[in-house]
Amino acid sequence: MASSASTLVIGSGSGIGSSIAQRLRSRGDSMIELPPTLDLTNAEAVGESLRSLVGSGTVDRVVLAAIDPSAFRSAPIISLAEAEWDQAAEYSMRAAFVSLQQAYAVLADGGRVILILPTVVATGVAGLVPLCTAVETIRVMAKAVARRWGTRSITVNTIEVELAAFMLGDNDAGETEVPVVPVLGQPALPPASAVDDVIGLIDMLATPAAGAITGTLLVADRGTVMQP
Amino acid sequence: MSGLPGLMEGRVVLVTGAAAGVGRGVAAAFGSAGAIVGIGVRRPEAAEETAAAVAAAGGTPVILQCDVTDAAQSAAAIELLVRDFGRLDAVVHNAVSGRSSEATDFENTTLDEWEDHASVTVRATWRLAVQAYPYLQKSQGAYLLMSSPAGIEGSERAPFYSAVKAAQRGFVRALAREWGPDHIRVNSVAPLAISPALENMKILEPERVKRIEGLVPLGRLGDPETDIGPPSVFLCSDEARYVTGQTLVVSGGRFTSL
Repeated sequence: MASSASTLVIGSGSGIGSSIAQRLRSRGDSMIELPPTLDLTNAEAVGESLRSLVGSGTVDRVVLAAIDPSAFRSAPIISLAEAEWDQAAEYSMRAAFVSLQQAYAVLADGGRVILILPTVVATGVAGLVPLCTAVETIRVMAKAVARRWGTRSITVNTIEVELAAFMLGDNDAGETEVPVVPVLGQPALPPASAVDDVIGLIDMLATPAAGAITGTLLVADRGTVMQP
Repeated sequence: MSGLPGLMEGRVVLVTGAAAGVGRGVAAAFGSAGAIVGIGVRRPEAAEETAAAVAAAGGTPVILQCDVTDAAQSAAAIELLVRDFGRLDAVVHNAVSGRSSEATDFENTTLDEWEDHASVTVRATWRLAVQAYPYLQKSQGAYLLMSSPAGIEGSERAPFYSAVKAAQRGFVRALAREWGPDHIRVNSVAPLAISPALENMKILEPERVKRIEGLVPLGRLGDPETDIGPPSVFLCSDEARYVTGQTLVVSGGRFTSL
């Protein structure tokens, strides 16, 4: 069902961010998207872009699904040059900080911030140390701002999906190599679209009934990794 | 004598950020366990007290200039230990940004402040691992990161500190898998302990410290040497040979559901 609230999607250039934006757009939501080519670590550029898109208004929801694609390349850490480590791990941390900071300035009181991340930290993944490092950083950054922004009744929550779903969204893998995450078995629930699962949770978190949920992690992987 | 006597006899350990606080306490605990302790500090003259504590505890102190944001310095510190003592059994990365106890104005600050935290706690965590890898592989040693409960629960006052400490937890979980085949163990400790900042707070805001202590089931903040040191030594010892990828919360029971 379409929402009349305005939603800012950051990271709509690829993967699940792209699929979420497409789904919200096609059902008629009021949508704002940052240009996919925008450098999310450039606070000035992000702020300026937001101001030009939002004008004097505000947004009700922010969906942030931005991990640099270099983080998905499987490689032992000892093989990484410092610039590769930076791009694969630290770029996404900086992007998360800048995105959250700049989004805050245009977010309405009572707004909802929803971060989408891949569920890789619960198990840890060899070859993806930069990704696991970035994901846990961003997840806890979200908890910290959830504590800060509660006074404006803004909630901040994280949804984690399987790595393949994060990387691909609705798209087929094609030639994209999806690293293997070590899990014990198949999902407990029958397969379905991860994008649908996430949209359902975004809608749920936007309801007044979810106004008391903040700083949490919701894992939408159909029971693949059950948190201890 | 406190600690775990003999547990690290003849083993060689590098502790970064060892000039004061938890780093000094952990270094002393390694000393009491019989280790040769590389005391990694930015300013060697600031390491005298730690060196004395390590020696008094029965260990062998080696003061090393090791600003972890300087790749050449951290490499040289590791190389010096290996050259002089023939091995490296553990690295304990405890150093944090000099701004780690400051409040962060997340909504108004800039990436420069983030860089202060990330360079010490994120990038150096990676770089020290890479630099120590061949030696830890040879000794089937351990890499221990001193994280924080703030890196698990998220801190309103210190969002950057929380985030970079969380980075270390994510790093530990993934690297434990990556280095498992090499029999190198990777863990972290999340301590609640007296620090120089808290010592200062005790003088300036004693009531606040009392409130914090009141939240701890054991009724006090941890002592860096006698409370935080032994679990850290244990995790780097052979006795923890089957423990990897873990974060041990050492908080007197303050944090029980992380």
